[in-house]
Amino acid sequence: MPGLGTTYGRGGATTAPSDLLNSDVILIMGSNMAENHPVGFQWVMEAKEKKGAHLIHVDPRFSRTSAVANTWVPLRAGSDILFLGGMINHILQNELDFREYVIHYTNASVIIPESFKDTEELGGIFSGWDPEKKQYDTRSWLYQGVQIPSDSGDQNPNGQSGGHSQHGVDSSTDLSTYEQDLTLQHPRCVYQIMKRHFARYTPEIVERYCGVSKEAFLNVANLYCGASGPEKTAAMCYALGWTQHSSGVQIIRCAAILQLLLGNMGRPGGGILALRGHASIQGSTDIPTLFDSLPGYLSMPKFGPSSKDLASFIKANKPRTGFWNNIDKYIVSLLKAYYGDAATKENDFGFNWLPRITGDHSHQAYWLDMLDGKMDGLFVIGQNPAVAGPNSGMERRGLGKLKWLVVREMVETETASFWYESPEVQRGDLRTEDIETEVFLMPGAGHVEKEGTFTNTQRLLQWREKAVDPPGDARSENWFIYHLWRRIVEKAKLDPSPRNQGLLALTMNYTLEGDHREPSSPEILQEINGWTVADHKLLSGFGELKADGSTLCGAWIYSGVFPSAGRNRANEREPKDEYGHGWGWAWPADRRVIYNRASARPDGSPWSERKKLVWWDEAAKKWTGKDVPDFTATKPPNYVPPPGAEGDAALAGDKPYILHADGFGWLWVPVGLNDGPLPTHYEPLESPVSNPLYPQRQANPVGLNRARPGNEYATSPDARFPYVLTTYRLTEHHTAGGMSRTLSHLAELQPEIFCEISMELANELKIEHGAWVTLVTARGAIEAHALSTSRIRPLKIGDRRVHQIGVPFHWGYNGLVKGDMANDLIAISEEPNVHIMETKGLLCNLLVGRRANNVAKLKEYHSIAEGKTA
Amino acid sequence: MTSPLTNSVVYPATYHVTKAAFLTDATICIGCKACEVACKEWNEVPDDGMIWSGFSYDNTQALGASTWRHVMFLEQPAAAGPQQVDMENPFRWIFLSDVCKHCGNAGCLEACPTGAIVRTDVGSVLVQSDVCNGCGYCVVSCPFGVVDKRHPDGRAFKCTFCYDRQSAGMIPACAKACPTQSIRFGELEELREAGVARVAELQSRGYADARVYDPQETSVGGTHAMFVILGQPEAYNLPPAPEVPTIYLKSAWMSALISALVLAAIVCAAFLF
Amino acid sequence: MAATDNPGAPSRPKASEERLDAIRNEASATGKVVTGAGRAHANAPIPGAEDYYNLPVLKPPTWTWEVPLYFFVGGIAGVSAVIAFVGHLFHAEPRMVRVALWIPFVGAGLCPALLISDLGRPLRFLNMLRVFKWRSAMSMGSWILSGFGGFAFLALATNELILYGIQSPFLPPLRWLGEFGGALTGLLLASYTGVLIGATAIPVWHENRRLLPAHFLTSGLGGSSAILELFGFLVPATQILGFAAASVETVMGALLEVRKRPIDAPLHHGRSGWTLRIGGVLEGPTALWVRVFWGSLPTGRFAAAICFLLGALLSRYGWIWAGRASAHDPQALFQLQRKK
Repeated sequence: MPGLGTTYGRGGATTAPSDLLNSDVILIMGSNMAENHPVGFQWVMEAKEKKGAHLIHVDPRFSRTSAVANTWVPLRAGSDILFLGGMINHILQNELDFREYVIHYTNASVIIPESFKDTEELGGIFSGWDPEKKQYDTRSWLYQGVQIPSDSGDQNPNGQSGGHSQHGVDSSTDLSTYEQDLTLQHPRCVYQIMKRHFARYTPEIVERYCGVSKEAFLNVANLYCGASGPEKTAAMCYALGWTQHSSGVQIIRCAAILQLLLGNMGRPGGGILALRGHASIQGSTDIPTLFDSLPGYLSMPKFGPSSKDLASFIKANKPRTGFWNNIDKYIVSLLKAYYGDAATKENDFGFNWLPRITGDHSHQAYWLDMLDGKMDGLFVIGQNPAVAGPNSGMERRGLGKLKWLVVREMVETETASFWYESPEVQRGDLRTEDIETEVFLMPGAGHVEKEGTFTNTQRLLQWREKAVDPPGDARSENWFIYHLWRRIVEKAKLDPSPRNQGLLALTMNYTLEGDHREPSSPEILQEINGWTVADHKLLSGFGELKADGSTLCGAWIYSGVFPSAGRNRANEREPKDEYGHGWGWAWPADRRVIYNRASARPDGSPWSERKKLVWWDEAAKKWTGKDVPDFTATKPPNYVPPPGAEGDAALAGDKPYILHADGFGWLWVPVGLNDGPLPTHYEPLESPVSNPLYPQRQANPVGLNRARPGNEYATSPDARFPYVLTTYRLTEHHTAGGMSRTLSHLAELQPEIFCEISMELANELKIEHGAWVTLVTARGAIEAHALSTSRIRPLKIGDRRVHQIGVPFHWGYNGLVKGDMANDLIAISEEPNVHIMETKGLLCNLLVGRRANNVAKLKEYHSIAEGKTA
Repeated sequence: MTSPLTNSVVYPATYHVTKAAFLTDATICIGCKACEVACKEWNEVPDDGMIWSGFSYDNTQALGASTWRHVMFLEQPAAAGPQQVDMENPFRWIFLSDVCKHCGNAGCLEACPTGAIVRTDVGSVLVQSDVCNGCGYCVVSCPFGVVDKRHPDGRAFKCTFCYDRQSAGMIPACAKACPTQSIRFGELEELREAGVARVAELQSRGYADARVYDPQETSVGGTHAMFVILGQPEAYNLPPAPEVPTIYLKSAWMSALISALVLAAIVCAAFLF
Repeated sequence: MAATDNPGAPSRPKASEERLDAIRNEASATGKVVTGAGRAHANAPIPGAEDYYNLPVLKPPTWTWEVPLYFFVGGIAGVSAVIAFVGHLFHAEPRMVRVALWIPFVGAGLCPALLISDLGRPLRFLNMLRVFKWRSAMSMGSWILSGFGGFAFLALATNELILYGIQSPFLPPLRWLGEFGGALTGLLLASYTGVLIGATAIPVWHENRRLLPAHFLTSGLGGSSAILELFGFLVPATQILGFAAASVETVMGALLEVRKRPIDAPLHHGRSGWTLRIGGVLEGPTALWVRVFWGSLPTGRFAAAICFLLGALLSRYGWIWAGRASAHDPQALFQLQRKK
């Protein structure tokens, strides 16, 4: 998400799946779209069948997406940056970029100071590296001419300051004083630096280390690059195959760079579809369940001088130019939504009642704290970490260290039953009597038993009606949180300590409906939409937000979804045009293809008739077209900002990336990422080869591998673990299986865990098709059926043949069908920007026979036998 | 009828056909099995056993009393038309959703001695579960191996063509759920033409082995569920030349008659001695 | 598919180990990537004839032990009615005619019981008479059996009444009606079962559809005369009928042995093959030989009768099991249909 957020300004899919109908070429990589987004895939299928689009699938496995692609290219799991970097290099060396777009709409021409040193000069790291803190001082990455701030913002104790709510601004850096060379010749302009940076990402290195022949690679590169320019566009789709890597954000950055170089961003059939997971995961970052983010991608305040008070916070987060200049309006309106009348100008609208981040509070980090006995309790809502967490065996042990655990679910998941049913208990490694955690299983309502919105991958809010009341004691999340809050507040009223003030000031003034006294979901959505405090008049968009406390808004990006009483735009179901306006409501402001200013030339006319989307209507003096313009409607294309202008008015009429302080699409990311302004190839944390480009920097230097007993790593390479392992999903099951292994119609479709191996490996190890095998990594071991198939190929990597093995992760110890948990094999690790674990490229070994028959051999692999204590 | 969003087929809110038909197209199937699940959910069909087969991703294995849509997975050493996979070792993975064929001349219907199996007003073949007494004769009379007895229920079951949904003007559950419209529902003649046109289009794009499976030239008289496939029908366990077993009646009864006459003569002869 | 769907059916085969071995050997010999999961292209038996993981195309019969037994009992009952009628017509011994009328009556009670027991929903047996479909051999059979039952009862009742001494002018014509109707429906009862399985989709059955009605009739003939012999009626008529039935069975058996069509594999291999062979040998050559060489003695005739009955019973089971095996063989089906 920060990959897209830093490059373009917002972290999220830039287009809708239906826009793929306009693509000439579609590249699906790091995704098995047909498998995991089958409904969204209908547009891809239609584009291919009815519009002649060419579908390319690059993936270690031949999956259900590959089966219907025009071109499939197998590559080594974890070598994506080499491949994509190779494509970038191909463009730069052969000058295939869409030059006019690049010059006007990207920061290719911006000059970088001499103090910056590239990885090519420093053997794999950028300038600013602090080897002790293991993090970068990113100030040398700023543009030349930009005043370097003395206080570059708070750093968390362990150095992680990036994350989902990065809006491309670090403290109050004013990026508007950059210098440019529009001829792109200056040796320190971004374009030239990139050329040097990617010079060694050649077809030869792609062949040698991705396992992709030069012909196949160049075929893809030419197909993709050939679909650019005024008359053609190409789109990319990605998912967890890119994100769940230790350099995940940088992989996405490569794709984002490609789309800018080829001029695909903001244009019909172009863009990047970040395929979010199951319904409403987009919503769960918009109205976030993330520790470092406030609704609408505002930063959670960090402990330090920058959040001493509201003014400091605003100062640290409000750039002079670009749309984020409005952040004071957003934060104040949010605070009014939280604290209502208790939020006044005098008390900084309650800003000091917000918590402050003091460290890495991501899932991985606090789970390790849990293992160390530092946590008392945990709520687990709609998640099943006992199966889906990384190093799930270790996570299950962590659960046993809590004093109390509340699980809210529709079924008794493995997380709720770990204390008597986990494999550790079944094998006798742990005893139920010794686990002191008190577990509360609270029944949750299913999705048809409650109402509210889902936010899909294309940022589309769709209202869901309630069909039936939940049975028995099952209740919705809203009900649970609301009534829990109510009871806690009763207790807090009896305790006068200052820390309860914020809790007591929280306003949740919702009407309670029905026998269950369910808080009204439409009212919650209205609060998210926002209203003017004085007269409770609903807002029609974020443009109406004020910083003086007169407006209230739960999430500025959603403002406009409920613009007047009775008009819930998320519930509208009459599509009027090819972009679906009239069906649901997309943020921001129902813009379906964001950055769509870029679909017009700098002068405002469309790039071509074939690819017109939004253009300037000289007669009406406004932007018009097939989509809501992602631009100030009345700002003419030739607008020049007057000196001293601020916010959006400071951006010229040809700057489509309005959330960036300079209005450019960022090929080069000056602020916002922890591991580099440009993507660089690092190997995964466990790899069969050393880094071919930078042997002294094997893996992402800023990533956290959290190595400790129970969470060990193989070496790279490692004779004990010769095969590359990747994990993935099947269409038939749903993540950790709580909703699919308990349902007979789904369970019977894929009843048992299996791993996919190549015919060659089956032959080498004499494995009978379907036989039980044991997969083992440095963390754990599981058993699975061996499905030998031609859909998995060994690849020639370096000088050897590398086998890849794949295993889906859907099974657990509950349900109609059971099986081992693939995530027992994965390590707890954190990508430096978003803390996500690496599930897609690790090292493993494969033993013939069931786990119980391999006990002796397994002891050799796990010196501290299977992560016993924390 | 097309939608403003796309060119895909959009079914009217209320859709009644005179002769119901399916056209299931393997070349746009993504093997997601939504059809299998939607069918089971709508018709409340029980599960068919939790058996891992190892046959690619097909754990369902065949149609039967408790499986009315069955997605097949074929891994073949051949290229799918112009698909670029591996120039040296061509490979393809084909998916197809199988279903009751609703034959023009249906073996199960002819065989049923209780009259439980009937032809509906939309031309589909329907087993009336309130009449069926589980004699099992339909099971051995289906040349496609579709209908079967369900245990412990005892009755025969198969795809109903969602007759209840059709009566209410809705399209069958599987067609509704299919995300890529690999399963198309509509008028028999229209879909017949669509199938032929589709195969012509595929062949012009380089899918030389595309064909329609609709055995009109056999005694089955064409099926109301037709398929667009790549390669031979046998690879999909579709019989290349299915026949409705009533064609065997004449010769069998002839033999019975003649044998009976001969036997009567022998018995007479035995007593005349 | 649930393994319990067809109790008694062989379990479904997994991907063939032979094929996988062939592929592995090819891979190690040539060092090339071998594609096609489980399919050795070069070794396909017939060009173009593939299959789907060797899974069956057809569904095997769901009938259980009652049905072959019904064939057996029905055949005997049916022909016994013919014997009763013809015997009565040609002045056979009244005691024999009497027994020959009891057999259909008992049969007409047993047969429906067996069939009803096999039904998935036995209580709905009357639905069999909802329709009359001449295109459904089972529908015809339901009516035939019902008619037969009626005539058999009529013939038996009237005969018993007459033997008991009841004098009524209606009884004799009614008895003739019962006997004649019983004979006609009896012929149909004993032969229609051949049509029943011959007119199905099961290849080994429909490819033998001309043989089956004749064979079942012959079996019924030999069986009914054998029962009469076991009741002590060692008369020339039963000897001739026994001899004729065994001879015809011998010829049929030889024919099946000699004609080695691929589709007939279940008749020669596996459980069905051995059952049919043993049954055929007992019904045919054994019964014949015993009757030829020891038929002059009562024990000889009893032995021949028992041989025949045993053989006939085994043969019925053999044919049903052959149907199961045939349904499980997709390659045979494809081969057959490709030839046509």
